[in-house]
Amino acid sequence: MADITTPVAQTAAATRTAAKRRAAQRQLFLSPALILVALVTQIAFLATIYISMLSWNLVRPDLGIHFVGLSNYESLLTSDTFRTALINTIILTVGVLAASMIVGLLLALLLNRPFPLRPVVRTLLITPFFVMPVATAEIWKNMLLNPVYGLFTWLESLIGVGPVDLLGSQPLLGVGIMLTWEWFPFFMLILLGGLQSLPEDLVEAARIDGAGPLAIFRYITLPHLQRYVAVATLFGLIFLLQVFGEIVVSTEGGPGIASTNLPFLIYRTAFSDWEVGTAAALGVTAVLITIIIATGFNRILLRMTGYAEVEG
Amino acid sequence: MKLKFRPGTVLASLVAYIVTILIVFPIFWMMVTGFKDEVSAYQMPPGFTFTPTLDNLSQAFQSGILTYLYHSAASVGVATVVALVFGVLAAFALIAYPRPSNGSVLFWLISTRFMPAVGVLIPLYVIFQHIHLLDSLWALIIVYSAINIPLVVWIMYSFFKDIPRDLLEAGRVDGASDRQILMRIFLPISVPGLAVSALLSVIFSWNEFLFAVTFTYTDAPTVAVFVSSYTTSEGLFWARMSMAISLAIVVPILLGWAAQRQLIRGLTLGAVKG
Repeated sequence: MADITTPVAQTAAATRTAAKRRAAQRQLFLSPALILVALVTQIAFLATIYISMLSWNLVRPDLGIHFVGLSNYESLLTSDTFRTALINTIILTVGVLAASMIVGLLLALLLNRPFPLRPVVRTLLITPFFVMPVATAEIWKNMLLNPVYGLFTWLESLIGVGPVDLLGSQPLLGVGIMLTWEWFPFFMLILLGGLQSLPEDLVEAARIDGAGPLAIFRYITLPHLQRYVAVATLFGLIFLLQVFGEIVVSTEGGPGIASTNLPFLIYRTAFSDWEVGTAAALGVTAVLITIIIATGFNRILLRMTGYAEVEG
Repeated sequence: MKLKFRPGTVLASLVAYIVTILIVFPIFWMMVTGFKDEVSAYQMPPGFTFTPTLDNLSQAFQSGILTYLYHSAASVGVATVVALVFGVLAAFALIAYPRPSNGSVLFWLISTRFMPAVGVLIPLYVIFQHIHLLDSLWALIIVYSAINIPLVVWIMYSFFKDIPRDLLEAGRVDGASDRQILMRIFLPISVPGLAVSALLSVIFSWNEFLFAVTFTYTDAPTVAVFVSSYTTSEGLFWARMSMAISLAIVVPILLGWAAQRQLIRGLTLGAVKG
């Protein structure tokens, strides 16, 4: 009896040990990454939620730190500054997203056909995306939009338009144009990836059936691009919501608070008013907005991870 | 594809060339201005006729830009290495020891990638202040590592997944340890993934501004903080500013160009393969 079962039991035991060993290996390899990320994002965010319920001024320790429940949030609801910042954030995010998507699509269509020097053109066109955002703002604010010495001002004088101080008079428009310059390459690249994955024979078949270029674009290209547009929109929204350095350098949120968005307001509240409780409440709000957006794109996210699960 | 001479193609190429020149012009113009003297920099109408000078370069060095560049390079370099090591190990764990929870681990990682910086900024500031890491490169290294890990895991996972599982099993049958399998099989095949992970980590962290300006001021400010401190009100030194900015932005631009073949896949965390 024992002679027969022992090897089986041994094999079973060996399998169990191997399984245990693998589980331990998985844990060992995963832990450093997951722990560091959890500390800096999840745990820190929980702390943000906690701080958002405190009345706490960092440079006035004499005032003490008090638990005030949700009153930081309540005062946000009645704050005009918060409302303006929220509206500015939405205008900037949606406006730049739409503009970058359109410019990106047009340039992707252009790049999708062969012409001499196409790789060079592609390389040059993605460059603005890699320019440090604060540098982008310095370039635009000083060399292009400066109402006295800017290149745009000079161009305006050529066509007889008075000097326009775009960042002073229409700060959101000015910042928006600058951000579109920075972000269109991202959209262009993703949409170009979509266009290049469009099956050639599908287009060919439609052409043989007598479809014109517009009909092909409308009924074949656009539906195919849908997924790419969705991915670009998701990433675009999430990252445009976080625009910060461009605003600090180009307008400092002004004039007044005319170009203050949520991240800039949070920064100002925390590190110039030192009201970290209020700033934390604003931070929680920003995260909630991000969660709402991400939930709206749940299907893409699930497909990204779901497809990972099937293959994994 | 063969290029045929057709009016449509000629027109399209012309439009592409003009648009490209217009879009790149601001960067080009700034780099040119870096070689002008201050008087020429303000010349109206803008001219290309000037005697190039390297004065601004020595000015930039005198203003201490090398220190800022060093702070950037050190924090970004260490953070990228940490993110690569941790990220590659995690991605390999998901592939080599798959579990039903893989999907949720990846989903969780992507959700942290979407966490707005302002959602964690304040407690991190308070904590770094408490443990005396404020105004040190370590604060940036910790934050940049954590930001880049999800990116690395996702990209590397997407590359590892394309490797036939048979290779892993064959290696195991041959008695190779999993560490050997990772080092000798998986990593050599996934060099493009490794490259794009590293390049994107460096680019994003090098250009990062919010954490840099919040966590550092005198001992560890990065070159992004230096660039942001140039304000025209402080005295109009466009030529000097242009040279400094050129030095600050040249690395990410070159790396971005180098990464472009895998760029879409990297930027969308594998959601789109360009």
